[in-house]
Amino acid sequence: MTQFAQVVISGILVGGIYALISMGLNLILGVVRIINFAHGEFLMIAMYISFLLYSTWGLDPYVSAPIVALALFVFGWLVHRVIIQPILDTSATVKIFATLGLSITLQNFALMMWNADYRTVQTAYQTTVIRMGEVAVSVPRLIAFLVAVLISLGLFLFLKYTLTGKAIRAVAMEKRAAALAGIPVKRIYLLAFGIGSGLVGLAGSLLMPIYYVFPTVGTLFVLTAFVVVVLGGMGSMFGAFLGGLLIGLVEALAGVWISPGLKEAVYFAIFILVLLFRPSGLFSLGKGSEEVGLK
Amino acid sequence: MILQIDQVVKQFGGIAAVNGVSFKVGKQEIVGIIGPNGAGKTTLFNLISGALPVTSGSIRFKGEEITNQKAHLICQKGIGRTFQVVKPFGNISVLENVKIGAFNRIQKSREATEYAEYVLEKVALIHRRDSVAKSLTIADKKRLEVAKALATQPELLLLDEVMAGLNPGEIHEIIPLIGSLAKDGLTLVIIEHIMEVIMQLSQRIVVIHHGEKIAEGSPTEVTSNPKVIEAYLGEAVSFA
Amino acid sequence: MKRAVTKSTLLWLLVLLIALLIPVVVENKFYMHTLILILFYAAVSGSWNILAGYAGQLSLGHAIFFGLGAYTSTLLFMNGGVSPWIGMCAALALCMLVGACIGYPCFRLKGPFFTLATLAFSEVIRLVASFWKELTNGAVGLNIPFQAGFSNLMFRGKEPYYYIALGVLCLVIAVTYWIDRSKMGAYLIAIRENEEAADALGIPITRYKLYAVLISSGLAGITGVFYAQYILFIEPEAMFNVNFSVQVALISIIGGMGTVAGPVLGAVLMIPLNELLRSAFSGLNGLNFFLYGIVLILVVSFIPNGILPTLRGWLSKKRANRHSQLTQAIPGTQKGGGQVDSAN
Repeated sequence: MTQFAQVVISGILVGGIYALISMGLNLILGVVRIINFAHGEFLMIAMYISFLLYSTWGLDPYVSAPIVALALFVFGWLVHRVIIQPILDTSATVKIFATLGLSITLQNFALMMWNADYRTVQTAYQTTVIRMGEVAVSVPRLIAFLVAVLISLGLFLFLKYTLTGKAIRAVAMEKRAAALAGIPVKRIYLLAFGIGSGLVGLAGSLLMPIYYVFPTVGTLFVLTAFVVVVLGGMGSMFGAFLGGLLIGLVEALAGVWISPGLKEAVYFAIFILVLLFRPSGLFSLGKGSEEVGLK
Repeated sequence: MILQIDQVVKQFGGIAAVNGVSFKVGKQEIVGIIGPNGAGKTTLFNLISGALPVTSGSIRFKGEEITNQKAHLICQKGIGRTFQVVKPFGNISVLENVKIGAFNRIQKSREATEYAEYVLEKVALIHRRDSVAKSLTIADKKRLEVAKALATQPELLLLDEVMAGLNPGEIHEIIPLIGSLAKDGLTLVIIEHIMEVIMQLSQRIVVIHHGEKIAEGSPTEVTSNPKVIEAYLGEAVSFA
Repeated sequence: MKRAVTKSTLLWLLVLLIALLIPVVVENKFYMHTLILILFYAAVSGSWNILAGYAGQLSLGHAIFFGLGAYTSTLLFMNGGVSPWIGMCAALALCMLVGACIGYPCFRLKGPFFTLATLAFSEVIRLVASFWKELTNGAVGLNIPFQAGFSNLMFRGKEPYYYIALGVLCLVIAVTYWIDRSKMGAYLIAIRENEEAADALGIPITRYKLYAVLISSGLAGITGVFYAQYILFIEPEAMFNVNFSVQVALISIIGGMGTVAGPVLGAVLMIPLNELLRSAFSGLNGLNFFLYGIVLILVVSFIPNGILPTLRGWLSKKRANRHSQLTQAIPGTQKGGGQVDSAN
């Protein structure tokens, strides 16, 4: 029983980070209607920035998190402006392979700059745990989870109550009508891409104290994020949040009950099943699945 | 009777887009379907051509039940259709577009090419045969739409607003084409907004309003029908 | 029209002749290796092109069939002493079966979601292959014991491999060429361009997509067998690698998807570049793929149809202009006028 509680808790805590990454991906998908295959590499870049800030100036990843998020916001903005915007009206092939090309480029850029070594930061709190009865909770994981929850909450409020947030939602729902209502759709796209990338930047910072960074670290997480997005429903922020927690849980349980080597296979299998049988997402919150090709 | 539509209903959610429509089309007849915007005309075509399943009712083609059959099977049986919003195969040539239609009845590539050329001659698009389909003008795209459907060698052709978006000059060029199709022995069902055109072409007209058939008869009968006039009131359509 | 066909046939024959003679001239092992890789990648990419380029189903799970082919023949050879030539037939059959099983449910998905699903299948199979140690020896991989001989499909020199790779490529090209010229090709392209319109023209979409995946996965399986026999070492990480699928796709995209010669052109351009960069900057790991990525972005952004169709489109535009000028100049002389009436 204790072991079960332990697994559930650590699964959900990791799920918080998955949620952040997936919400970023889902925001971009919902608004710009593009699947960013390079999203994982954005995470990788964020982790390297976090790592470099630590190794050069000794900045703690939590301290540098706002800087990293801002850097990723700008990076996402630029990527959208330079690569995505010119191809928005083209075929699916172009969009898939342009972002895939970006993914390969960034991955190998990192390989050239920092080689394939695993790097991490040393912090005082790294191995600190809080004991709750017999269950041990890792402090950096708990922090990551709490921050993820707070940021998600902030994002919901932003999208729901601010004028810009409403504009973003309007564009996600119906681009043409939004344009007719005077919303600057192009700017909203840039903003959404920026915010989506900023979220992944934050996720990178939160991940740094508990994980390693290496050039292909993104692939691990982006595939998870795709799973989460499909589980939670395309374009749905809340779905992505729940989906993130769920996948964290599934991964942890599969690691214990089935085999650590197969835990990824389990959630990919879930992914395929959901995609095939429930393309609108488990929670049926997803909108816009028709737009991206699912009936 | 080549086409018999009996009490066909199509519901989207709780809303009936087509509600108990029945009519018949005889061999080599030209039947026009008119009605205000959103009356359910295109939905009706989608039901006949198998693009959408019906909620209830039956559709028979040459006496055979074709209700809810797959679109490609219905095409193979001999019903061709055009789309109101044209759907060319954009990145390939005009000839290749039509050739794809021709393969419906023809297996060999060379014969399909020859037949496609024949159809292109017929719709007066042969001079654009090597052009990429997406580069055509809207008028030519409408012609291509007709050519593709025609190349499948249908017995019954459903034409969905092939003249919408064309200028008067272009419309007057396309009317004789439709007339010549009828002369070749094709049966035609035409949806059209331009009254002048449909009155001129059709032998019989079915009027649909709010998904229901409100009138049927010769062009003159229909235009003098008070129900029809009422349905069109408020819509700025002139009866020429 | 007929002249164009014979012209391109002649060109193919000329290229084949040159390809047959190359090993007579080239002795250098590195060059031979590069040439073999060109043939191999052109063949794999050509098999992908049938499903992705013609039918428009952008799979990133092509490595599944490549890897499955390699494992099939290798396991048959190592455990049962079955000749890899027979293994090749087994690989072909198994890959077609698996291709249909994966393709059939995924064909409902469109655009990026089809791509994602194939990606996920690829990862599942990689993970299972790493996990199933009893069968595949897991992540450690399998070393194929070297026993030279024709029936073992293993040779000391490079020439035999060269000719086998050429043979496999010729098979892929022949199949693609046949598809391109037949009803099948026209139908696959129609499905790629617009499914709804294709449906309305009498095309059974799912059936034709299945044909495409059967051919595509079967041919990929054969290339996998060749790879295993050439490298003599296979491991899940290398055989079921998503990056390999991407690379295979890239070659067709650059050369021109949906054309017979596109994958060949793509391989001829990209593989030597890749090998050159790798040997010239051996200290700088990743430079070749870094450039690959940039090339991919540039190509899809600026010439999304790839090199070959872009060139061809440019030529046919010139021809169309000339044709329309001609018919305008001499009215009533449009050629091929209505002498065929197969309606009756």
